[in-house]
Amino acid sequence: MSNEESIDQLPKDHDPGRGFSRRELIRRAALGTTALSIPAVVSALGQNPGTADAAQSLAPLRANPYPGHPRWRFTFVNHVTTNPFFVPTQYGAQDAARLFNCQFQWTGSVSSNVAEMVNAMNTAIAANVDGIAVAIIDPHAFNDPVNRALAKGIPVVAYNADAPASSHNSRLAYIGQDLYLSGFKMGQRIVNLVGRGDVVLFIATPGSLNIQPRINGAAAAIRASGGSVHYQEIASGALVPDELARIEAYYIGHKSIKGMFAVDAGSTQSVGQISQKYHLKGRVKTGGYDLTPVTLNAIASGNLNFTIDQQPYLQGFIPMQQLFLYKLSGGLMFPSDTNTGVKFVTQATVGKYRRTTSRYEGSSPAEKWIH
Amino acid sequence: MRAAAAARSRWLLLIYDGIFRWREASIFVVGVALVIYFALQNSAFLSTDNIRTISQYAAAPAIIAAGEVMLLICGEIDLSVGNTYTLAPIIMYTLYTTNHMPLVPAVIVGILIGGLVGLTNGLVTVLLRVPSFITTLGMSFLLNGIALTVSSFPQLTPGGSTFSNIMGHGDYSEIIWALCVIAVMQAVLSFTPWGLHTVATGGNILGSEEVGINVNAIKIGNFIVVGMLAALTGILEAVRTTSVDPSAGGTPVMFAAVVAAVIGGTSLMGGSGTVLGALFGALVIACLQDGFTLMGISAFTYSIILGAAIIVAMIVNIRLQQLRARSR
Repeated sequence: MSNEESIDQLPKDHDPGRGFSRRELIRRAALGTTALSIPAVVSALGQNPGTADAAQSLAPLRANPYPGHPRWRFTFVNHVTTNPFFVPTQYGAQDAARLFNCQFQWTGSVSSNVAEMVNAMNTAIAANVDGIAVAIIDPHAFNDPVNRALAKGIPVVAYNADAPASSHNSRLAYIGQDLYLSGFKMGQRIVNLVGRGDVVLFIATPGSLNIQPRINGAAAAIRASGGSVHYQEIASGALVPDELARIEAYYIGHKSIKGMFAVDAGSTQSVGQISQKYHLKGRVKTGGYDLTPVTLNAIASGNLNFTIDQQPYLQGFIPMQQLFLYKLSGGLMFPSDTNTGVKFVTQATVGKYRRTTSRYEGSSPAEKWIH
Repeated sequence: MRAAAAARSRWLLLIYDGIFRWREASIFVVGVALVIYFALQNSAFLSTDNIRTISQYAAAPAIIAAGEVMLLICGEIDLSVGNTYTLAPIIMYTLYTTNHMPLVPAVIVGILIGGLVGLTNGLVTVLLRVPSFITTLGMSFLLNGIALTVSSFPQLTPGGSTFSNIMGHGDYSEIIWALCVIAVMQAVLSFTPWGLHTVATGGNILGSEEVGINVNAIKIGNFIVVGMLAALTGILEAVRTTSVDPSAGGTPVMFAAVVAAVIGGTSLMGGSGTVLGALFGALVIACLQDGFTLMGISAFTYSIILGAAIIVAMIVNIRLQQLRARSR
């Protein structure tokens, strides 16, 4: 599957005066390279309690190539600090903190409250932390805090959600899923699966910068396909019980629908549950995002045709890694945009996710080499 | 020598007496203790940057709490303030962009809409005798839906630099607004008939009616005031964050205001309260939130510590109040 579509939707380079060449978003090939190096890093970190084969002892990495440095403190400002989706993100950041001998702080808002996030970021700036990673869920509110942090010499990267180019936000890089592109690919897959007919696209909180671009991409792909598929966008709500109720209510009112899709974790698992409840497998095509346990079960049983993994562990690990190298090299190693992936998971590939529990999926705190 | 010792002990007695006569003393002491604790933990706590951040944490709950205190004193509560906070900037934005109303009148209309929400709450509570808890709870859902229907996407807050600097974006503009509101509301509470009648209504509603106080007007009036203050706060915060966001505000804002009022010394049962105490309460919560984040505490631990700290602050507050009552 190639990544050449929607180039014009990729984040623009908005500070060419900085004198560095921004790398392109890492394509799938490069992502493959990154993915290969993760097991090496994990095996280096320590024993694997899950392995039954005692003869394969893993030698932990002892030699640290880097010189002594202060234990830099990197603060992650998040919009839903208690959301289980971000548990692997925290694990990734914690592992990176141990690997690079830095400190990691997880703060922000519980309920996507932008004012709270801005307050938390201001506090981090006042505390003179060494780096900030922020989920930019609002197009305007984070411009001033980011500028103030950069003026104080604190590097700031965005992760998981990014400001649109029109906001002129000065964050140094974005690490996360290419949201619009992932939606576009989902839209293409929807057209392939459904062929012709009506589909519905559920979005938890319209306007939220971490999910709105996905639905925009999907809508664009569906429109570009020629008109045989008609879509409707429906808001499902921020809380999972609400989402389940609304999706069920929608289905009951639209039983001739050919496809039900979602762009956020809660709505996706609810679509899977409704598909199971009303035995829609085969008749109605379904799919969505993220890897909640309910979603994984639905994929395995065929109630969901696909889900999209955005690799939240990497969204914690890579910002820490980039901020660390920035500090260590005095700015010579500059943060760069990183696409943590548009990875489709289907019934054929879901097995490994269900058989294993690990820090990468957030299902277990144990460090593991999965093989 | 004995005269000097007597003079010193008389000074101490005066200070002791003065502090404990002052009803906000207990929360003030708690606040000072927290500032000292955090300043020792991290020298950045008392930096200019951080003081500005604390003032921004505290300003919004303080303004809304000023209105909630009056309402709590007369025996009611308003749970919809968080949603009035959300709706007012959206109304202002819609009037400015769609109806091309000039900005300052749009702000005034936004605040008046807050007053209208308060009036509705007041009328339903007082005339239809629905408990204010339920009235305002229902109103909060209603306002939430209206806000999302009118504007489902976050928008850039309008206004040039003068408007923005005065209306919340300037470094200390929000806390200055808060201090003015607190000063006016405390003066109303302490020195005007309205304040006296509010306390009377909350303390003994039957007795107040008997002596001729229009308790309905008092309650409705206080509902209108808290609605307008919530609307003002919503607009100030929208200007500060440069974003008019339909998902801003909500119950967390309401809880912050009520907690500030209660920690500051206002009784949830009605009949007594202090607006100045609410300001100190808001500052105490702001110091807790800011101080722990400054120390590097992460979100999960932070919630545990914040919850425990609020309870401890309240316990200390109450013990000091009891000490004060006994020392009289």
